[in-house]
Amino acid sequence: MRTLWLMYKTEAKLSVREFSSVLFGVLVPIGLMILLGVLYGDATLANNPSVRQIDVSFSAVATLGICSAGLMGVPLALSDYRWRKILKRYKVTPISPMTLLMAHVFFCFSLSIVSTLFVYIVAFMFGFAFKGSVLTFILAYLLVMVSMHAIGLIIASLAPNSKIAGVICSLVYFTMIFISGATIPYEIMPKAMQVVSDFMPLTQGIKLLKAVSMGETLSNSLLSLTVLIVVAVTGTAIAVRFFKWE
Amino acid sequence: MQTVIQVKNLKKSYGNFQALNGISFDVEKGTIYGLLGHNGAGKSTTIECILGTKIIDSGEVTVLSQSPLKTRKQLFQKIGVQFQNSAYQDRIKVKEICEINHSLYKKATDWKVMLNKFGLMDKMNAFVAELSGGERQKLYIILAVMHNPEVVFLDELTTGLDPKARREVWKYIHTLRDQGVTIFLTSHYMDEVENLCDKISILKKGEILISGTVQEVISKSGKANMDEAFLYFAEEEAE
Repeated sequence: MRTLWLMYKTEAKLSVREFSSVLFGVLVPIGLMILLGVLYGDATLANNPSVRQIDVSFSAVATLGICSAGLMGVPLALSDYRWRKILKRYKVTPISPMTLLMAHVFFCFSLSIVSTLFVYIVAFMFGFAFKGSVLTFILAYLLVMVSMHAIGLIIASLAPNSKIAGVICSLVYFTMIFISGATIPYEIMPKAMQVVSDFMPLTQGIKLLKAVSMGETLSNSLLSLTVLIVVAVTGTAIAVRFFKWE
Repeated sequence: MQTVIQVKNLKKSYGNFQALNGISFDVEKGTIYGLLGHNGAGKSTTIECILGTKIIDSGEVTVLSQSPLKTRKQLFQKIGVQFQNSAYQDRIKVKEICEINHSLYKKATDWKVMLNKFGLMDKMNAFVAELSGGERQKLYIILAVMHNPEVVFLDELTTGLDPKARREVWKYIHTLRDQGVTIFLTSHYMDEVENLCDKISILKKGEILISGTVQEVISKSGKANMDEAFLYFAEEEAE
């Protein structure tokens, strides 16, 4: 336990020193939320005047931190640690290299949550009204978070080296945040693009969070829930089966 | 004498390449054992097979009478390892890596005492990546021995060190041995081997050609010194 805690603290410090995960995971989402708040004001959706734009965009921007931590942070760090033989070094100690992996993933979880809290504060200042159940939202959020990190673990498990992992991460991350509605609002996408977007697990995650934050019942989000659970379970299974320590 | 490391008929291959072709040796408690050979002879593979980071094809390996694969957790409380190019995170500081390492073990010495002993106290807040080659090598040794292990594995421990730093490290290795610690090392430097090792083996293409004390190996080769004796055995039939 003590080792896990020390490793967690160290991963946090390393991450702040490296800075890109703080920039993309926390500062960019805050900046985007401010920008959207200023742009939208009290505007409502074109096709649904009863819904305010700020209310739907909160859930989208709230996932940006998750994506940065899960799709970039986790796979990049783990493939780097494997390449540097850090994971292997722990194989000749009394602990398992799994401890370092867990410390890093827990830190990425923390960073996602911090990012979302800040995004919430900003959205709240611009008049965002949360209408759903807070507990359901937290559970839905955790599901989206685990699911995105599972995708990151798949990349970390299957990429042959850290260079290729970097390329795949960028590809998945940028495709996901631009097409799924995390940055460009899903509501303004043309119909054809929405169809493509629906195939992204993140799109389903954002839809779920939107539905919950607007107080809809979960029975409207069965598809999203199924997709996210399948991704989380499959990703974890692939990681357990294929992840190599060296 | 108690046998600390026992290797019997160890075989290991990578695909068609036979890296180790049935090697056997014993290392006794409180001795320094040197494994010599050119690059690719199988030295690192031998260490990894003993430690269980590589799975052996056949044969038998025990450390402190236990299999490193079966009783990992208990056994590695008593084993210290320094790999070639030891691994650390980019941007990690000396004190951070020391704290984490310290937390892994039940009876570890205060890492500040260790840093002090090796003259690295003023580097506590430095990044590991910014240390000089000699300082980093000393840090790796600290990390390998901090928990007062009974057996220490050192893979090419003084590669890249200046003569003064090498002598300091040698002196420390002698101190460890005098405290009853068993040391298994690989080296390219014959002066190091002569200075440190109680017993050596020369490895070539996955087989042990000769074992014995430095004096025995030199006299069997009929050469004047260890340098020539090593070349005589390691390059025999090479051309």
